[in-house]
Amino acid sequence: MIDFALIAEKMPSFLGGTDGAPVMSTTDGLLMTLELLAMSLVLGLALSVPLALGRVSKNKWIARPVWLFTYVFRGTPMLVQLFIIYYGLSQFDWVRQSWAWDYLQSAYVCAILAFTLNTSAYTTEIIAGQIRNTHWGEIEAAKAVGMGRWLMMRRIVIPSALRRALPAYSNEVIMMLQGTSIAGLVTLADLTGVARRVYADTYQPFEPFLVAGAFYLALTVLFVWLFKRAEKRWLAFLGPRKA
Amino acid sequence: MKPIEHPNAVAAAQPTLEKTGQIKLQVEDIHKCFGQHEVLKGVSLTAHAGDVISIIGSSGSGKSTFLRCINLLESPNSGRIAVAGHELKLVEDKKNGHLKAADAKQLAMLRTKLAMVFQHFNLWAHMTVIENIIEAPIHVLGISKDEAIARARKYLDKVGLKNVEDKYPSHMSGGQQQRVAIARALAMEPEVMLFDEPTSALDPELVGEVLKVMQDLAREGRTMVVVTHEMGFAREVSNHVIFLHQGKIEEAGNPREVLVTPKSERLAQFLSGRLK
Repeated sequence: MIDFALIAEKMPSFLGGTDGAPVMSTTDGLLMTLELLAMSLVLGLALSVPLALGRVSKNKWIARPVWLFTYVFRGTPMLVQLFIIYYGLSQFDWVRQSWAWDYLQSAYVCAILAFTLNTSAYTTEIIAGQIRNTHWGEIEAAKAVGMGRWLMMRRIVIPSALRRALPAYSNEVIMMLQGTSIAGLVTLADLTGVARRVYADTYQPFEPFLVAGAFYLALTVLFVWLFKRAEKRWLAFLGPRKA
Repeated sequence: MKPIEHPNAVAAAQPTLEKTGQIKLQVEDIHKCFGQHEVLKGVSLTAHAGDVISIIGSSGSGKSTFLRCINLLESPNSGRIAVAGHELKLVEDKKNGHLKAADAKQLAMLRTKLAMVFQHFNLWAHMTVIENIIEAPIHVLGISKDEAIARARKYLDKVGLKNVEDKYPSHMSGGQQQRVAIARALAMEPEVMLFDEPTSALDPELVGEVLKVMQDLAREGRTMVVVTHEMGFAREVSNHVIFLHQGKIEEAGNPREVLVTPKSERLAQFLSGRLK
């Protein structure tokens, strides 16, 4: 049966409390998962808007490299990417001697880097797809009122594409939430990392992973709800008319 | 652009309007090919201030293509275009042999003087009605937001729409959407308005509301070029009609003469195929 006493005893460690120290005194557990997720999503989204514009560019020298980037990062597992960045790069002297080494030796930075690149590859494709889907009539209307290419992109195409990308992007956010669970494999104490630590301490695998799973599920429900609200607001133009 | 003779485009007699206005739009000898197929074989048009010119013709006659060449949504192979005295500088596009604007800024500037109303409205779907109308005045013309909103309200009132400011286009009827599109065009305060079959995508019972707005605009003395299938509009509202056939002007002139007693056999045929 489920050992509720164990769950009660270890619950604080999922919320940043370590032995003796109160809850939220460290970033272990929930906070670490949310931090990794938020950082990589914000950075990934910021990267993917210009990358998506590059992806749909008529200039081959811009479009091809972006295409290659998204295929490489969508074509390999995020865990492999994380290991290459965290363990692989340290093989090279020139990496260890460069300014970047200050950052690349940190598991936290490596995890955010890997997650950011991964999510930006997927998000780039989502946004690029919606940019391509922009109704040609809306583009003609923008040209006909004298908008230049850049103004049209900034005012019409991108705002419209981002809104239409919302449902697919909400999926990407949820996938990334689950994806952050590999951070524990490079020593970080996210929700899964804490569960692994509790397992190692107690030799009881069921309860800690059950708790971690419950956290992910609760976060997923929260994100689904948030995106539903966002879609109601930003995608009302696609929905049925309200009375 | 030097003044040119336009035997086809300038009507000999204008009983309804006196030809005192300045030339707002001059389009000369437009040729356009799609591949081997020559869609426009030298079409010209001159619109003076207050002219309402209807362009009619069967589908495939090149009338929409001609209209779209005027603001370069379609690039012609040859021809000249001048809006309110400014000739659009055109150069050959090396890639396809068509003409393109030599100066993107000048093209953008001339386009702001040529507002277009499309068959399928082409409103920006993610913007509300008011956002659609104030968008270009703010970001292209550079007027203040307050001024743009005041303008938008004035023109929404003019096209007879109330309590629609915060609606999305997809939540309105086709006739309402087209009237918003007309308000959007008006908000640019253009020299010339181009209408590309503005009622063709509408349900029959919604056509009237759009035509009525266009009739009001014509009465105000706005300069309009209208590609249309509405013979009633061409006859009653426009002061000049051009019948295009296979990429050429087959007949042109005062609609009350041309549409009642066509000289060309093709136009007679075209008109007899229509009840109105």
